[in-house]
Amino acid sequence: MRKLYRNIAIVTTVFMLALAVMLGVSYYQMQQVSPLETGVMETLKELNETNGDNESLQQQIRELDLLSRKAYFVKEGQLKMGIYLLLGMALVLVVCLNLYYKETKNLPEKEFDPIDEWMAKSRARKYLGWAAAVIALIIVGVVGIQHMDLKGMFAKFSEEGASAEVQEEGENVEVNGELLAEKVDTLGTDSVKGEKTDSAEVDDMPELKIASRAFRGNNASATSAARGIATSWNLSGKKNILWQSSIPKHGYNSPVITGRNVFITGADAKARELYCYDVWTGELKWTVKADGIAGSPSSMPKVNADTGLAASTVATNGEEVCAIFATGDVICADMEGKRLWAKNIGLPDNHYGYASSLLMYGNTLIIQYQNNSNAQILALNSKNGNTVWSKKANDKIAWSSPIIATLGGKSALVVMGNPAIAAYNLGNGSELWRVECMSGEVGSSPACAGGVVFGASEYAKCVAIDGATGETLWEASDYLPECSSLAATKDLVFCATSYGMVCAYDAKTGEVKKEHDLTTPFYSSPVVVDGKVYLFSNSGKVYIFSASTFDLITSFETGEKTFATPAFTDGMMIVRTDKSLYCVKK
Amino acid sequence: MRKTLTILIGISYSFHAFAVARFPKPDFTSGYQYPDIFHGAPNELFWNILDVVLLIGMMGLVVWAAYKKRSRTIILSMSLVSVLYFGFFRSGCVCSVGSIQNVVTAVVDSNYHLPWYVLLVFLLPIVFALLFGRVFCSGVCPLGALQELINVRNFRLSRAVSATLTMIPWIYLAFTILYSATRSQFLICRLDPFVGIFRLGGDLGVMSFGIVLLIMSIFIGRPFCQFLCPYGALLSVFSALSWKKLEMTDKGCINCALCSVSCPVDAIRAPQNSKTKEERRKGVNRIILFAILLPVLTFAGSILIGSQSDALSLAHKDVYLYELLQRQEAQPELEEPLEVETFHALGGDMEELKAKVDDIRSDYQFYAYLIGALISFVIGFKLLKLSLKRGRKTYEIDMARCTLCGKCFNYCPQNGRKLKVEN
Amino acid sequence: MKDKKLKSPMDRRDFLRTCSSVVAGGVALASGGLLAAKASAKEGDVFWQIDPYKCTQCGRCETDCVLTVSAVKCFHANKVCGYCDLCGGYYRPNVKELNTAAENMMCPTGAITREFVEEPYFEYTIDEELCTGCGKCVKGCTSFGNGSLFLQIDQEKCQQCNECAIAKVCPSDAIQRVSNDNAYKLKDHA
Repeated sequence: MRKLYRNIAIVTTVFMLALAVMLGVSYYQMQQVSPLETGVMETLKELNETNGDNESLQQQIRELDLLSRKAYFVKEGQLKMGIYLLLGMALVLVVCLNLYYKETKNLPEKEFDPIDEWMAKSRARKYLGWAAAVIALIIVGVVGIQHMDLKGMFAKFSEEGASAEVQEEGENVEVNGELLAEKVDTLGTDSVKGEKTDSAEVDDMPELKIASRAFRGNNASATSAARGIATSWNLSGKKNILWQSSIPKHGYNSPVITGRNVFITGADAKARELYCYDVWTGELKWTVKADGIAGSPSSMPKVNADTGLAASTVATNGEEVCAIFATGDVICADMEGKRLWAKNIGLPDNHYGYASSLLMYGNTLIIQYQNNSNAQILALNSKNGNTVWSKKANDKIAWSSPIIATLGGKSALVVMGNPAIAAYNLGNGSELWRVECMSGEVGSSPACAGGVVFGASEYAKCVAIDGATGETLWEASDYLPECSSLAATKDLVFCATSYGMVCAYDAKTGEVKKEHDLTTPFYSSPVVVDGKVYLFSNSGKVYIFSASTFDLITSFETGEKTFATPAFTDGMMIVRTDKSLYCVKK
Repeated sequence: MRKTLTILIGISYSFHAFAVARFPKPDFTSGYQYPDIFHGAPNELFWNILDVVLLIGMMGLVVWAAYKKRSRTIILSMSLVSVLYFGFFRSGCVCSVGSIQNVVTAVVDSNYHLPWYVLLVFLLPIVFALLFGRVFCSGVCPLGALQELINVRNFRLSRAVSATLTMIPWIYLAFTILYSATRSQFLICRLDPFVGIFRLGGDLGVMSFGIVLLIMSIFIGRPFCQFLCPYGALLSVFSALSWKKLEMTDKGCINCALCSVSCPVDAIRAPQNSKTKEERRKGVNRIILFAILLPVLTFAGSILIGSQSDALSLAHKDVYLYELLQRQEAQPELEEPLEVETFHALGGDMEELKAKVDDIRSDYQFYAYLIGALISFVIGFKLLKLSLKRGRKTYEIDMARCTLCGKCFNYCPQNGRKLKVEN
Repeated sequence: MKDKKLKSPMDRRDFLRTCSSVVAGGVALASGGLLAAKASAKEGDVFWQIDPYKCTQCGRCETDCVLTVSAVKCFHANKVCGYCDLCGGYYRPNVKELNTAAENMMCPTGAITREFVEEPYFEYTIDEELCTGCGKCVKGCTSFGNGSLFLQIDQEKCQQCNECAIAKVCPSDAIQRVSNDNAYKLKDHA
């Protein structure tokens, strides 16, 4: 009898294994292939839509559809049957096993020795102790690894307060390529407060998480996710100044930060150059010249003193950095300073000087090339400079810069020109909507918050456009900027004018919520960072407002003429003045 | 496909904002009546009452079978009934093991409505454990019953190894409490190895683990119950203090040693007059050391786990979304995950989310410290217990480990059962 | 000096044990009472439910349910429907001919059928047995129609798991646990 049970048990086990494997494979297949979702079907159906009445294609689709539906339902039925069969066999196995082993018993192997119990306990203590210790060590080790990167950094630079803030930002440091690695324990920073040195071991510096990859930040949003930015500094007294470096050639363009590189350009009649500085030390790492470019003019175009030859801010995508000058020369370099390509897109017919800044989206370089003639928007491939798409328009000249906005949940290009603000598809340049609302000399750039696009110009008005539909939500004319661009949050739109007034419009209604008469002109643009709005006047006086109420928090002189807009990164702000480039860090 | 999705979401939401039907209500002239569609949720009350009644009934039956009749057959048939009813018929949900999560959530969140039968299903086994030992584990818990039905051989693990492994249920319990108290997820439901078998569907990885455990339980008794079950950890505390202690026979133990190898979970302790190989002084010193170490360990463990609270908080959906949004902002050229896309399409407010995340993180801080203390306290306590000497006169059952399977009844010669010897 | 009876270690242990049992019993009763107070007289929230107004039709309802065939089905709110000939949920976009040819259908399993009512109205019905909860028709109806098709959890099929596997991955947090009274949230407006 027992032999019978044993044999049945063995046979059942073998069958169960085979069936389980078959079911597993079938289930896996179904998940992978998913007969209802085949890409083939989709493409065929799409082809059908575009190709009109193609009888054979339609026939093919119908047959395929029928087959796939059959396959789906049959597979489903098979899976169910298989599972029930498996369960049935399991029951048989369990019954057989139990019957086989019924009424048997084991005999103790040796005489019981009371010492055994004590020995077992001693060994148990040892095992448990070691296991607990190992686990604790592993946890400490993991925490320690994260500490090590930042601990080195703070031993050189930290002061009270800043360490805690930046620690928070350092949380998502890439560890083993996992971008959402564990957060760093803030406890460790307390021990390294109050230490400062001049000579930094630059190789220990971690990569910065927050970049500022274009004029007015990533996607030209005029906001930054940086935290812990100092609210006061002094250039002469070196208070909160990490470094200050001179710039070989002059330019009004703003700094751009990615990784540990700060990019600016400078130009004069002799040369047009792209500079890369180290964000931690301010050392000029490399220079790339815009020379030897086919089609480049031999003599410089006439430009306004307030514009210069290098008014356009560079743009980067983390791998390449591109720059453009008033000559129409566009150059592109990699992060190590090697020039990848250069071309001349045509001397801009621009009476003040070409000033639109560049913008990058993935590998596409966007150039708002709107001059007195041949106005167009260009998209070049940043790897080789080839034109991906271009959009000609009968627009007039403008000095505004494009932005990338989230419209209807998707990223799109928004360009403000004369006479319209328009939105374009980033991939192919097709126009999404166009609102004719601008006139005169458009020097200010648009902003977008909460899916609403805002744009204003001194010789026109301030408008708010619904990004998804292109419908104008409101218009206002209280205070309008000439050169400074707007910055916006979901509630307020910040505007700085050339005649000393700064104000905050209500983003929903266009009503002026707060204004300040600061009697000093503003060309630099406001940026919203860390709940505050930072704004530089032309003379270099810094104004910091609350981003929720636009109350003036503080203001102080820096002493250097500043037309460029600052760039922000983890705990640091980079400012480019008429004479120098400096870094503010608490 | 994704592009179309976002555009469609965008369009559908821009229209949704106005909540006006694109196409007007049809004007039927032929006397068409709208179909009468009824959707009712099934009333589960009957089944819930039956569950509780059966729970009490079966536990009572096991008590009688174990203490009075000493019959393994009854206990085994209980296991079969449990697997069929609580397991396959009721799909193993809500089980007493999972009820810990619901109870913890109810304690923490006053808006959470704890159903009465879940509370009963949580409390009743504990009450029985306090009275009679781990009766629930015996033949009533479907998870245990499944392992019991298939356990036919007995390879013993060394005491030291099993002592160490029995710490795992406490770690599991601690993390369950953490994740339930912060409303992040139900860890037990996620990692339940057998519910997939009962439900005939579920996460393939967890189900495979369940099958592995079942195969193991052919040879090792109750691997899930001993080394993984968090509710078992809880029950073991109460059953260690049970009012009635189970004995192999009511006729008195004759110290024949035949039962010592019968227990699948190694719960039978032999008589001994606590002989040790070391001096008493050393033993006493060790006890004092561990007693002092206990609060120190608790504190250290609390800090160790508590310091990781931010990393642990990523288990919460909102915190994870927040991190994804941060990452996307810092590196806009990365492909947007669906969660981020949907968040933006639905007009999500980062400030609001940040406030929520801060709340959740502060919750995590508190509970992470708490469970850190719990885990290290348990480890310290176990170390202390392992340093104490025990004297026994006869073969005794360790009620904390005994799952009342009844195998030992058939081994005791006092019970007069006929058993063949294994060749 | 009274004669102190020396307790043997085992008696001492038993005494400690009894004390601890009493304490444990007290704890169990106390927590039981406290929790009973919390276990409201109101019915517990045990039914999972999708909020059709939050749903973005991401497709995860079909793939993430623990059952082989998802418990999420497409429901039709007839009173909201426009009864159109060119139904956004029935036909694919850019459809050339309004017939039942496979290349024109949106539903991959053919679960939507239509019946002519009167000119120009058609009644659309969903065969629940064939519906897999993929949400394609819902997406089409919400974008191009009145939004009368929506995804909802079929409580007859749903296992009422303590933690819904779909709720965990829903990107718009549309799945909540509710009591019997609110178990079916049906669409009554666009």
